[in-house]
Amino acid sequence: MTRWSLRKLVLVATAAAVAAGAGLANAGSAPVTITTPVSGSTIALHSNPYTAVAGTDSFAAATPGTSRFYLRRDGCGTSNDNPHLSTATGTDGGDGCGIVLNAVVGLGGDVDQGAFVDYPASDGMPLALDASRTATGAIDITGTAVGAVEVDVSLEALVGGQGVTVGSTTTTTVLDPTVSDNPVAFTIQPDASLAGADLQGLDLRVHIHGPALDAGFVGLSGKSWVDMPSFSASVNKSVAISVDDATFAHPVSARLDGSTWSVAIPTPAIGKHTIYAESTQGFATSAAVSTTFTVKR
Amino acid sequence: MKKLLLLAALAAAVVSVAARSAGSADVTHHPLYMPNTQNIGNPALQPPPVCCAPAGPPVAGEPAPVNMAYFGGHVQVTPKIYLVFWGWGEPGAFDHVTPGVPSYDPDGAAARMTAFVKAMGGTDWAGSQTQYYETDNGVNVNIQNVPNVFGGVWYDNTNPIHDNVSGLELAQEAQRAAAHFGVTDLHNSQFVIAQPQKYNEAGFNSGAGYCAWHDYTQPQYYPGVQPGLSFTNMPYVLNSGSSCGQNSVNTGYYTGRLDGFTIVMGHEIEETITDPGAEDVINGVNLGGWYDYAAYENGDKCAWVGYTEGIAPPSTVPGGLGTMKGNDGKLYPVQSLWSNDSAGGAGWCAGAGDDLPVTG
Repeated sequence: MTRWSLRKLVLVATAAAVAAGAGLANAGSAPVTITTPVSGSTIALHSNPYTAVAGTDSFAAATPGTSRFYLRRDGCGTSNDNPHLSTATGTDGGDGCGIVLNAVVGLGGDVDQGAFVDYPASDGMPLALDASRTATGAIDITGTAVGAVEVDVSLEALVGGQGVTVGSTTTTTVLDPTVSDNPVAFTIQPDASLAGADLQGLDLRVHIHGPALDAGFVGLSGKSWVDMPSFSASVNKSVAISVDDATFAHPVSARLDGSTWSVAIPTPAIGKHTIYAESTQGFATSAAVSTTFTVKR
Repeated sequence: MKKLLLLAALAAAVVSVAARSAGSADVTHHPLYMPNTQNIGNPALQPPPVCCAPAGPPVAGEPAPVNMAYFGGHVQVTPKIYLVFWGWGEPGAFDHVTPGVPSYDPDGAAARMTAFVKAMGGTDWAGSQTQYYETDNGVNVNIQNVPNVFGGVWYDNTNPIHDNVSGLELAQEAQRAAAHFGVTDLHNSQFVIAQPQKYNEAGFNSGAGYCAWHDYTQPQYYPGVQPGLSFTNMPYVLNSGSSCGQNSVNTGYYTGRLDGFTIVMGHEIEETITDPGAEDVINGVNLGGWYDYAAYENGDKCAWVGYTEGIAPPSTVPGGLGTMKGNDGKLYPVQSLWSNDSAGGAGWCAGAGDDLPVTG
């Protein structure tokens, strides 16, 4: 009943270039500076129980955009099958791969062989998700398929090392047997709890079923894809400082205000001290900078 | 009835021990394997039956019947589990990275295994094994379900690892671990030697059909290694995919990606707790703890129960693969463990949250 088949090899010219935003969430964190206290300055402890520490930052702007991932496959039903998502497209060895749905059932029936295919992202991570907008895409049903097909698409992400559901949808389409490709469009609203999340991984799962004949073959080589709503950089930004400890074992978080940051710390004991600062955007942390000052009575 | 079954098993065991000890232990010895889902019942992956096994090999996906018996060796009454991540930080240990995750653990497997060991103490899953005991001077001393069985973790990037490591090399690493941790109570200690993605034990790599194994160091089998070390060969089971448990409990790509690590490691840890001597018979003395006529241990008898290649949830079968609620409140995929007390004393697989209605 079930067999893997390379239905046909479709040579499709490389489609659109990688959309803006893909894989940019981890763009290197911008340098941070310390403007206060000034290096070499002196602070009187008796009149300054707290010391203001401030500086500038220049985080990358988090511009809304779209990251396109193509469904790709290296070899149909082989040890080198490797279904995956990629921001790059090209000709896929697994184009037209799928499972034969060779039973015909009446209206309302459902041919479901229980098989699904996972397409985990092989690149384009991390991705700064914009959960306020929808993910859209298309799963191309290729071949002379007949009937109504139901395409289940689900998105799962890796966030903080844990698998989390982004969202899912089912789209039913009556196939046109006179054309070789029936793209089935889908739209998924990401879970609101993932707003601003930095995705470490992304998986798209496709499950095709329904009262159709020969409808289990997915066209690749640029014909099946998903557009993820994203930001060009992570919206998760922070500046941390550390007193006399370049390892930041006990960091103090600063308050961000546009392109500046500040924090007040208890003035350290009398003597010479070094304050370190570093900025983090998404998973990227800047090189630490430092300033040295002296505390007197 | 339960008592009768145990006595019968013990009597048979005594006969069989004599028979086994008469032969060459060197020839018959091999570690105690956990077959993968494709090799359940494969005789090449089981030690010789103890005796006239009253039942055939287990049916794939079902518990292996008949209760276990006590063979006279020690058990781990107050177990301590030491995790060794050998070479995970060495060059070439992994072929990929994950953003925001340490390069020495890109899939989070080490973190998951560590969390599991920290969380397993005091759980219902571990508690299902407190019915087993060792006999010290005529007194039965039961295994305790202590809240903290975590002995420590060691990322050993000093002693070079390589691909296709041997069992002897794993035993040597266990010895180094014992020294590293300063372990003196070997009876209650076990060492899990976990390997990274690209450097694994030779038999696992060869496709012999197992996911992991545990053993007990004796000079005959591990020359030059300190005797009396209970250790587990824990390969990077994600390399074997669903054959070693990937997505066998949780169906999501990422949520189920690490299922096999806790299922397989949990199997070996609990087998080591109830049979740290690994069924060894040395000079006529049986070092083994608890297993059955067919030499199946508490994990073997319940391995992959309910597993249907993803067609149906395994937990729908009593004793099937399920979850352990850890002492940290989180759920960890596990297999069930054989419980002589379950099913009114007839025995069944228990502890994975899907026990038979009648349990002991």
